[in-house]
Amino acid sequence: MPNGRRRDPASLTTPADAASPVASQDDGVEPFLAVTDVVKAYGAVEALKGVSVDIAPGEVLGICGHNGAGKSTLMKILSGLESPDHGSLRIRGQLVQLRQPQDAQRHGIVLLDQEFSIVPVLTVAENLVLGNVGERVLVRSGALQRRARELLARVGLSHIPPETPAEQLQLGERQLVEIARLLGRDATLLILDEPTAALSRGEIARVFDAVRGVAADGRSVIFVSHRLDEVLTLCDRVMVMRDGRAVATEPTRSLDKGRLVDLMLGAAGQELPAAPRRAAEDQAVTVSELSVPGRVDQVQFAFGSGTIVGVAGQVGSGASAILRAMAGLTPDATGRVTVRGRQVRFAAPRRAKAAGIQYISNDRKAEGLFLSQTIEGNLNATRFSRLSSNGWLSPRARLRSAAALASLVGIPAERLRSPVRTLSGGNQQKVLLGRCLRNESLALLLLDDPTRGVDVGGRAEIHRLIRLAAAGGTTVLFSSTELDEIMELSDVVVTMFAGRIVSISARQDTSPERVLREMTQDPAAGSNA
Amino acid sequence: MSVTAAGPDSTTAFASQRGDRTRLMLFAPVAVFGVFLAVAAASTSGFLTTGNLKSVLLSSAFVGIIAVGMTPITIGGNLFSLSLGVTAAVCAMAFTYFLRLGFGEAIVLALAIGGLACGLQGWLVGALGANPIIVTIAAGLLQAAVATWISGGTSVLAPKGASFHLLTSSPLGFAFPIYAFIGATVAVEIVLRRTRFGSELYLVGDSKAAARAAALNITRITTGAFTISGICAAGAGVLLASTYNTATLNLQGTYSYDAIAAVLVGGNAVAGGRGSAIQSFLGALVIAAATSIALLRGYSTGVQILIRGLILLGVVVLLQIATARSR
Repeated sequence: MPNGRRRDPASLTTPADAASPVASQDDGVEPFLAVTDVVKAYGAVEALKGVSVDIAPGEVLGICGHNGAGKSTLMKILSGLESPDHGSLRIRGQLVQLRQPQDAQRHGIVLLDQEFSIVPVLTVAENLVLGNVGERVLVRSGALQRRARELLARVGLSHIPPETPAEQLQLGERQLVEIARLLGRDATLLILDEPTAALSRGEIARVFDAVRGVAADGRSVIFVSHRLDEVLTLCDRVMVMRDGRAVATEPTRSLDKGRLVDLMLGAAGQELPAAPRRAAEDQAVTVSELSVPGRVDQVQFAFGSGTIVGVAGQVGSGASAILRAMAGLTPDATGRVTVRGRQVRFAAPRRAKAAGIQYISNDRKAEGLFLSQTIEGNLNATRFSRLSSNGWLSPRARLRSAAALASLVGIPAERLRSPVRTLSGGNQQKVLLGRCLRNESLALLLLDDPTRGVDVGGRAEIHRLIRLAAAGGTTVLFSSTELDEIMELSDVVVTMFAGRIVSISARQDTSPERVLREMTQDPAAGSNA
Repeated sequence: MSVTAAGPDSTTAFASQRGDRTRLMLFAPVAVFGVFLAVAAASTSGFLTTGNLKSVLLSSAFVGIIAVGMTPITIGGNLFSLSLGVTAAVCAMAFTYFLRLGFGEAIVLALAIGGLACGLQGWLVGALGANPIIVTIAAGLLQAAVATWISGGTSVLAPKGASFHLLTSSPLGFAFPIYAFIGATVAVEIVLRRTRFGSELYLVGDSKAAARAAALNITRITTGAFTISGICAAGAGVLLASTYNTATLNLQGTYSYDAIAAVLVGGNAVAGGRGSAIQSFLGALVIAAATSIALLRGYSTGVQILIRGLILLGVVVLLQIATARSR
């Protein structure tokens, strides 16, 4: 599709050109996959507003864009996890409909997820055939080993015996085994969604080698990443998405980091949010030499009470690992944390709580809410000790406390006895925040991605509640992968990359461009932007 | 189940309908079997006599007290204890032995031994995250071993002249264990509903990960739940010993499994987070009533056991349907 190569973004959404299989004939190569004018809405929110792109055999296509740009939705559509509301997909010129992942797999499209799907107790060989459509139930072990060895060789893991238990592999090796698994499915298009987020530099290099090998075989690869250096190093072409649209699709050689950041930001980069609140000068929270093996490397900072600190970093940057460590949820964390002058020991959430720290996980369903319990029970979860006298707890005291919190967070009091799972994502998050409000002993509130999966309206409400907590003197540390949220909510912005702090600055002293650059570029790699 | 679900809805305020319905769903299995049993009972001559109803109550009391005590373990997300029957038998032996110190002293010591033995198991499960099934099986073997070792493998006879009239009396015509059963149910229910411990137990049972992140004291709560189960099992043991006037390890019979069956038939959520002592109370009654009907109809022991098995199987299916609907 020649349109995609042009600089003019408007031409990207011309369906007539893109839909025609002969459109790419002037390249001499028929695209393996052509996506035309794909639209997808979730309720009132349009995640994709007409995206077109094509990918040639043997091509590595990078996709950039910050959170909410529509990358994940597009990948879900390509891998059959979601169906588009409008638009078409063609594979080798043939119109196809991918209703479920198996359909996509049958056409040779496979997705490597952000989450690892290696089963630790199985051997490498067994993991390699896991989940394959059309795999025989009983596989002869000899054949299995042979096939496993062949697949491992293709991703540069020929030194690993197929019978090794997967749990003995390092993180990067697991990632490579996953890629090998996808190759074993006769994948003609590999979709890698943030494959390097959790990997070390050496491991990343091996993933890159594997990807290049795959492309050299004539297979196509889509590489979704926040890390601009990696995209520029690995990909032949880059598509930048913003706000549900493909704003540009250009050959990598015509791009540099500065231009990529500009494309990702669009007009939003120019709007500056309202002036931040003044931060207190006391050192209510100090952290020194905080390390979590493999995740956080020697981090230190100090913040005053009532300050809202935004920790900006992509998945795997260590932003959420810092919060977990301070909450006492990471036993192998080391370093010193003091809250209001008292030192806090790691490795026990109850010690953290006693020091006035509360943590809200980014995984609302698994680690935040008590899903079958009532809204009342969830709001009161951490304050039963204060509501009870000598261990006795009256239903009236519970109700009074919950009603006060519910009105604070804007949940109707009549619903207090309903199970919390009947609430929307935004309201569930408000319940979690409500748990931490009206608590004078709360010195530090740790929020891991507080608006994940929350719509725009709910987000504003949650931001209001976070400011409310800060106004009461609580220091708030929140992590976010979303630039807008960081710029909107923070008094102080901490940017992180690969387990290290890149910079700490008051919000008025930094800019969205700078934050985005610091979140996405390896500071050690130097700046060639 | 439509009977129970529809009734209160029309009378409660709109606001709490949803929560109530979810909770009522859990009573569905008991309700279904209740109706089923009522029909069977009405058509079985001799069932609806005062004498028989009293004997149903009495026969459900021992299992029922253990089941009610098991309930906090289940609600706390730790499945079941597989050795409460052993604990009951061991405590029965302890009670009989300590009667020489006095009646009150013997009861207190027996309950303390039961609470301690199970509390330790709870600590293992809570603090170390040990699997409750394995811990309770192992603890059952240990308890049996210690009891056999100390008693020399013989039964412990109550000392001559020991008096426990109270435990064998029948105030108002009902045998004492029936009162103990009702008393235990009410006491555990109050602990579950009206204490900080009870409130937090439901949360821990609902999600251990969320409880950990919310900094709840999982160890203390789990230890508490197991301690309650031990005290209740010991209470059942004391009643068993006073009924038989002697105690051996054989007293445990199939109480462990029967109590689990009662907890399940009562519709307590196996995964934790939902349930009540009253549900286990009803579960024990349903099983005892079904057994009584089978007896009165002259079914063989095999058929009686078969009926219990079918009831359990039915509960699993019904609960599955009920929870699927309430989501």
